[in-house]
Amino acid sequence: MSTTTVDRKSIRNSVGPGPAFHRVLNSEFIKFRTLMSTLILLASTALVMVGFAALSAWGTGQFAEQVANDPEAAAAMAAQGGDLAVSIPTSGISFAQLILGSLGVLLMSSEFTTGMARSTFAAVPKRLSPFLAKLIVVMVSAFLLTAVSIYIAGLVSLPIVDNYDLKLDLGSSQSVKLLLVNSLYVAAVAAIGMALGTIVRNSAGGIMSLVGLLFVAPIAFQLIPGDFFKEANKYLPTSTISPLTAVEHVPETLEAWQAALVLGAWVVVPVALAMVLLKKRDV
Amino acid sequence: MIEAKGLTKVYGEKTAVGGVSFTVQAGRVTGFLGPNGAGKSTTMRMIMGLDSPTAGSVTVNGEPFAQHKAPLREIGALLDAKAVHTSRTAYNHLLAMAATHSIPKSRVHEVIEMTGLSDVAKKKVKGFSLGMGQRLGIAAALLGDPQTIILDEPVNGLDPEGVVWVRNLVKYLASEGRTVFLSSHLMSEMALTADHLIVIGRGKIIADAPIAEIITGKGQARTRVRTDQPERLMQLLAGTGVSVEVHERELLEVSGLDPRGIARTALDNQVMVYELTPLQASLEEAYMELTKDEVEYHSHITTGASAPAQAGGK
Repeated sequence: MSTTTVDRKSIRNSVGPGPAFHRVLNSEFIKFRTLMSTLILLASTALVMVGFAALSAWGTGQFAEQVANDPEAAAAMAAQGGDLAVSIPTSGISFAQLILGSLGVLLMSSEFTTGMARSTFAAVPKRLSPFLAKLIVVMVSAFLLTAVSIYIAGLVSLPIVDNYDLKLDLGSSQSVKLLLVNSLYVAAVAAIGMALGTIVRNSAGGIMSLVGLLFVAPIAFQLIPGDFFKEANKYLPTSTISPLTAVEHVPETLEAWQAALVLGAWVVVPVALAMVLLKKRDV
Repeated sequence: MIEAKGLTKVYGEKTAVGGVSFTVQAGRVTGFLGPNGAGKSTTMRMIMGLDSPTAGSVTVNGEPFAQHKAPLREIGALLDAKAVHTSRTAYNHLLAMAATHSIPKSRVHEVIEMTGLSDVAKKKVKGFSLGMGQRLGIAAALLGDPQTIILDEPVNGLDPEGVVWVRNLVKYLASEGRTVFLSSHLMSEMALTADHLIVIGRGKIIADAPIAEIITGKGQARTRVRTDQPERLMQLLAGTGVSVEVHERELLEVSGLDPRGIARTALDNQVMVYELTPLQASLEEAYMELTKDEVEYHSHITTGASAPAQAGGK
């Protein structure tokens, strides 16, 4: 111990930069990319999406071959609009929403289960900025990963469908629309997951709520008799994709703009609730 | 400087902290002492803005913690040895924390070096021992080179070398004019580290005084004496204000007379004394005395008067 250091008694009041939003964003991005489990989940999402698209391309090709020899099936196919191949690249989307939605839950719930939250919110006591930074990181990476995976899935499917003389144009407006809408949808689901993780603060509970919303509710609502549930089913997040990507409006579904609003509400409401609770509750 | 005014935290029906007021001054080590469950950690979390007080307020350098422009540079805290995502490496954890305040990588390396974590910095925190976790927590607390440092049970789980290191570190930080606030449930550790003590029990401040005052305030200083003529020495020492207890056949405990006085008496009368130990335990006893009504979890099996629980506080 030295006595010469006593002249530092006039230690300044915090000099140097504080937690401005771009710094918090950088910090959240570091946290995001330094967890092996996150990287594994991202890689497996890409893998599953590409794999599913390849399988789907093969299945669709087989189906198209049968159709060629069967006038009845050909009629059924023509009634559907005929463009089977265009949805091949996005056929793995329900897995992507499950994995990336769970990732959204985990990234927030793990803050609380590991105690990391105490470090995070001691460094940035205005708690909303780390929350929003994390939300941006989660949504942007979910969007980009899904978009890139869909595109690669398309590239992988091309030679397969080509083999069956099916046409798949990745540059067509419908292909681009499917890619963008599905990627946005997965980003929305990841945001819902993160909000649930913040509200529940528990990984298993958050993931179960998300699975309930995305997979159980649509089936349950179909099974429960009554017009109310039939109507309510249209407003579930999973039901918004088809109106948003339909070539023309399908009866008994929402209009595209309605679907966009519904999906938006599914993001905004839980996120707002999560922010209020995060601000109010003790860490 | 940390100032708490009427700080209160109530969980449901249970009052964890009941209207405490105290000031932690810069330039010295202030110990925050109390049995498990006395409200130490809750108070510290309220200082850090992690828990909001039910009533009252607490400021750090004049402002509530959350109002500071650069919190990490203002106040560094170790609240929990593993306030870390354990799947991340120590280095990446510190890097992410540093990024919030644009603290350069060189400072991250510096605190890693300071806390002796260089060998394990690139390893996942999952495999860390409790002591390594404490070192990482201290590294995180020092990251912003803060004016105020709060450490909750920093020596918990540290090996003897680590304990000495923390002791020297906090003394050094205080000597630089920083505010150091350190909690423990171990009186003996506080006796060696702190300059000033705030004793808390059941959410209330029991004592707030310089450590020397707390020792002398409660009971007189005592000296352990071993001699082969205990009866004779007892007779010689007997006088006003001096009391002697016989513990074993050749072991006396003398209070009311300092070791020099005892030695003088023994020398003058040709009584051989083969041990003369000033009893520091009086601090521990003062603590036990202060907190005996405030201990929340009494042990059912008592192994002796001076056996404070070794388990970590929460």
